[in-house]
Amino acid sequence: MRRVNVWKMLFVAFVSAILLAGCSSEESGGTSEKENSGKSASGKDQELVIAVNENFISMDPHNTGDTNSNSVQTAMLEGLLGSDEEGQIIPQLAEEYSVSDDALEYTFKLRQGVTFHDGEPFNAEAVKTSFERIMKDESLRLNSRGFNLITSIDVIDEYQIKVTLKEPYAGMLTRFVSAKILSPKLINDSSSDIGKTPVGTGPFKFVEWVQGDHLTVERFDDYWNKADRVKKITYKPVPENGSRVAMLKTGEAHVIYPAPVQNLKELESNSDVEIHKIPSTIARYVSINTMKEPYDDVRIRQAINYAVNKEAFISVVNSGYGLPLDSIIPSKTQFYSKQEAYDHNIDKAKELMKEAGFEKGFKAEIWGNTNSDTLKGMQFIQQQLKEIGITVEIKSMEEGTLSDEIYGAQTPEEAKVQMWYVSWSAYPSDTTNATKPLFSSSSFPPDGANTAYYKNDDVDKWITEVNQTPDPDKQAEIYNNIQSTIYKDAPWIFLGVDEILAGSRSNVDGVFISPTGGINVTDANLK
Amino acid sequence: MLQYILKRILEMIPILFIVSILIFFFTHLIPGDPARLVAGKDATLDEVNIIRAELGLDKPIWDQYITYMSNLFQGDLGTSLKTGLPVSEMFADRFMPSVYLTFMSMGWALVLGLLIGTLSAVFKNKWPDYLGMVTAVSGISMPGFWLGLILIQIFSVQLGWFPTGGAESWKSYILPSITLGAGIMSMLARFTRSSLLETLRADFIRTGRAKGLKESVVIPKHALRNSLIPVVTIAGLQFGFLLGGSVVVETVFSFPGMGRLLIDSIAFRDYPVIQAELLLFSIEFILVNLIVDIMYSMLNPKIRYVS
Repeated sequence: MRRVNVWKMLFVAFVSAILLAGCSSEESGGTSEKENSGKSASGKDQELVIAVNENFISMDPHNTGDTNSNSVQTAMLEGLLGSDEEGQIIPQLAEEYSVSDDALEYTFKLRQGVTFHDGEPFNAEAVKTSFERIMKDESLRLNSRGFNLITSIDVIDEYQIKVTLKEPYAGMLTRFVSAKILSPKLINDSSSDIGKTPVGTGPFKFVEWVQGDHLTVERFDDYWNKADRVKKITYKPVPENGSRVAMLKTGEAHVIYPAPVQNLKELESNSDVEIHKIPSTIARYVSINTMKEPYDDVRIRQAINYAVNKEAFISVVNSGYGLPLDSIIPSKTQFYSKQEAYDHNIDKAKELMKEAGFEKGFKAEIWGNTNSDTLKGMQFIQQQLKEIGITVEIKSMEEGTLSDEIYGAQTPEEAKVQMWYVSWSAYPSDTTNATKPLFSSSSFPPDGANTAYYKNDDVDKWITEVNQTPDPDKQAEIYNNIQSTIYKDAPWIFLGVDEILAGSRSNVDGVFISPTGGINVTDANLK
Repeated sequence: MLQYILKRILEMIPILFIVSILIFFFTHLIPGDPARLVAGKDATLDEVNIIRAELGLDKPIWDQYITYMSNLFQGDLGTSLKTGLPVSEMFADRFMPSVYLTFMSMGWALVLGLLIGTLSAVFKNKWPDYLGMVTAVSGISMPGFWLGLILIQIFSVQLGWFPTGGAESWKSYILPSITLGAGIMSMLARFTRSSLLETLRADFIRTGRAKGLKESVVIPKHALRNSLIPVVTIAGLQFGFLLGGSVVVETVFSFPGMGRLLIDSIAFRDYPVIQAELLLFSIEFILVNLIVDIMYSMLNPKIRYVS
């Protein structure tokens, strides 16, 4: 009897201890929502928390290409040119700019009275130092594109600078947007710190970066564009969708990007939360190897396009968020012109298949990465093409392996890919990047991403021509020809354009997401 | 004993040497070209080749290995291909949170596991046993991912007691450590129970009881101590795995630990980070094994190590 009592007492003590611990943590931790929701004090003294889905790679603006790193950099650093809510180019550290008729000379008139976070003055020499770093430092591999065409950078006076190229490059203005200007002192004295502690002229200055956990920036009170904005912004990488949603609901995060589609209904019913839907520049498509039989017959490619229901694709694969891809570039891209989309017409598709001699269909293979959304997309294509007798086998590969398979082929003959389920995103202002790597015959893998092995002499000629034309009207005309020709040639299954989804607390003001997914916090405030 | 420990530590050197060779070559065997992944989809072949040369990936594999090893001997773990930061710096931010989380998860899993296991054994086939074993089976059956999300929903979203993620204060460690420790606690409870039941049937326990020793002495001092050997083995193994990174839990709780870093690095083919992290995990496993062996002899004086 006595033995049992000892253990019973121990057991009761243990249960009581757990209950007590539970009660005490309620007292100490129960206020977290109120503390974080940012409703009590005035917005400009507060901290804004932004949760994104991936880690930041580096804070060196001249050496990063990922959206999340760029978003954070944009809060701290500025370029001569910037971009607006639609992704179009606007002056930033340059008040005005002009391009010569031969598209070789870019002259910038710089903003005066701007200082870097470390107190250094912003002037033409500072711009020159940053641009020369991009041109000369061989380790800056991603952003040197475009800058390797520069032949000279001339300081005209303290606030004017001229950049000369050796050959025209239509994407150059976009390069000036991404080439953020860093403090010359940082570049000259401690260049190894650029990736960790950047110093620029932006509305916020760098405070702290704990890898994998958070990155904090603080308001720069000497910023040239005076306005009320929050005191601090903390960016957090939160890869798990459910956790990001929970953070938004508890008020631990004020903005989440992206907002997961599966939680949208639940978030929309929450009065403290707002959902933002932004048409993006992300095109979803399946590239079809136009050099392989039977895909070398344009009728087969058109038949495939007629067989796939784009509206159904958006509702099934993208949960209803998105728009049909009705050109070779999304509508937010400069020089977009809408084409007559392939409607869902099984009879027409079968007729084209018959004309091409494949009445009974054929066996096909589609490749994609292991992402669950990609898999869903490929299964959709498989089901749709079955209607016209094409039996599609799905090959799902891990990203690195897939990249090896695609880019490992040195010639079109070596290429094994038949269809590739993929997406492409370019800056809205850079139509060159949205077309040349995908449709020029000089961009066959491994030299580019023309995985459709699409070759059309007219298109090749136009792509070169448009790059050398500074006149926007002429560019629009050429791009119009490029779009209509390629759309008819159907080297892709044109699927859809993503809508970007983001969530914010209803007291957040002045934060916008661009069509590329970049988060702009220049005027961020809490109401 | 001291001599034995020294000998074991010295033995680590050739083992680690072999492990480092294996890690290097296996890492380079993973399909996927880091230069292509760094350059992006729209890169031209020239750009990819420039990057390959700059990363030193154009050199023969043996040259790369010699550079890797000579850097390693100088304590240089290399530079990340992805971030351009020294690997040691990337580890600095993430290693300690992982260690704290491991100790915390292991700590409560050990205490509760032993307690539940002991109670279940002592009250075999009575309600504390049933309750304990139901808890243990539940703990093992619940996937970490699911348990983590449920805990976030209840304790962060509904009650607002703990943050949903990060590693900023001690509160951030509570939910991930419960999620991580649940499975281990259950395993330890079951092992403790079966091991203790076996010991309680042993002759020396019967002798002790016959001599009139109190139960409060027999169970903790004689029976439990002798039942702990298999428990220590399991705990040691689990400890090694936890330090090695618990990717799922780190992902759910956006915890800045070593597991997530490894997964990110593999996806990006960031060779220096993958190599350094695997080497670190190997050292951890070897050390944990050594500690487990030492604990054997502390628990059972009959186990003696001779050098």
